[in-house]
Amino acid sequence: MKSVIASKKTFVAQASVLKRIGAFIVDLVIINIIILFPFRGLFESILPTTSFSEAFEFLRQDAGAGTMLNAIMFAISALSILYFMLMEKKIAQTPGKMLFSLYVKPQGKDLKNWQLFVRSMFLIPAFPFVLLWLIDPIAMLFTKENQRLSEILSRTKVVEQYRI
Amino acid sequence: MAMEKKSKWMAALKVILWLIVLSFAIAFLISLFIEDDFESLDGNVAVIEITGPIVTSDDGYLFEDVASSDEIIKLIRKADKNDGIKAIVFEINSPGGSAVASDEIAAEIKKVNKTTVALVREIGTSGAYWIASSTDHIVANRMSITGSIGVIASYLGFEGFLEEHNVTYERLVSGKFKDLGSPFKELTPEERALFEKSLDTINDYFIDEVAKNRNLNRKEVERLATGQFYLGVDALNLGLVDELGSKDEAKSYVEKQIGQEADFVKYKTQKGFLGSLSDIADEASFFVGRGIGSAFFAKAESPKSIRITA
Repeated sequence: MKSVIASKKTFVAQASVLKRIGAFIVDLVIINIIILFPFRGLFESILPTTSFSEAFEFLRQDAGAGTMLNAIMFAISALSILYFMLMEKKIAQTPGKMLFSLYVKPQGKDLKNWQLFVRSMFLIPAFPFVLLWLIDPIAMLFTKENQRLSEILSRTKVVEQYRI
Repeated sequence: MAMEKKSKWMAALKVILWLIVLSFAIAFLISLFIEDDFESLDGNVAVIEITGPIVTSDDGYLFEDVASSDEIIKLIRKADKNDGIKAIVFEINSPGGSAVASDEIAAEIKKVNKTTVALVREIGTSGAYWIASSTDHIVANRMSITGSIGVIASYLGFEGFLEEHNVTYERLVSGKFKDLGSPFKELTPEERALFEKSLDTINDYFIDEVAKNRNLNRKEVERLATGQFYLGVDALNLGLVDELGSKDEAKSYVEKQIGQEADFVKYKTQKGFLGSLSDIADEASFFVGRGIGSAFFAKAESPKSIRITA
């Protein structure tokens, strides 16, 4: 008698919104540890307060501190964009996506640099890119393949891998 | 499959390590440009320097040491708000400057609910003395120069020069005093009287303030307000300063007042590299937009260019 053991097969399907949110939170935690941590000392020396209203008042009175804070914000934003671009370029995933078996898939063959950048431009702390924090999740809920606006523009999507 | 997963995690780890190094490097670079007053401020006595001509704003004084009332008021408020700071020492090394800026700083000092001390180093005359007088205690070196109570608004007149070069000043004004103080024409007696009246008013304010601040008789201050400067030792005899000495004497006075050991900490705003770059850019854009020649001409012609200094 011949026994047949079915080998596992891999399927790719549309990524669930909840898994994507989970992956994003994991990535934010990592970014907070590896990118924000070195800047913590600078933040504390520029803003000698933890109260939002006091910090706002301080920045209103001190244009120099505001300029410096902007420089730090842009540096953090650039490093965060690099985090997503490098990870997705090298392995088409980020640590967050790896935990949830999510992949970035381009419409064409390979992920190009411009596509990687457009996917992450919601991290630029300037108008109009900040609007993407609002538009991207809304677009995700109303598009067929749960795509963010940045993903539609970059012609990429996030897929989930199942092994059955 | 497991191997593929492992190599992916290794690749991710490499990116993470690379980003950590890059983040620390960028944070270090930015810290080089951070302005001085962002340093951690440990100490219980704030030292605020008033160095150079006193002006309302330091815009346009990129390479010159000036005491801007905007900046100094900011530092005074910062020190006053800080509960750890028990006293403020103003280290003065200034010949005076804008009457408005001096008055602004003096008024801010009077609002402070902490011990305030003025330490006059080389020079603390005119507007700088106005500021010193608003503190609780003035310490001056016996050889320092102080006093010089009075106001000045002199300027260079070019009317003779223009005439010599056959250049005429075409006077087109909507009011007879609109070009008051223009260096291209001689002052009329009426204009001169108007100017002197304003100077007298400001001088009266100055005398009033010094008399009130130093608990001196107004007549006595009026007698001293000839514009004459006094050495520290003479100023002490005249009641213009309280004590001869240096930082040590200022420290002793503060310690007596606050009842604890004084630990000085400098409060200052020194332009960082980025701030200086932004100033250069601001100034460059301003002059590019306006035209260097016309900017110079407008500045020279405008009566607003005349500064009343104390």
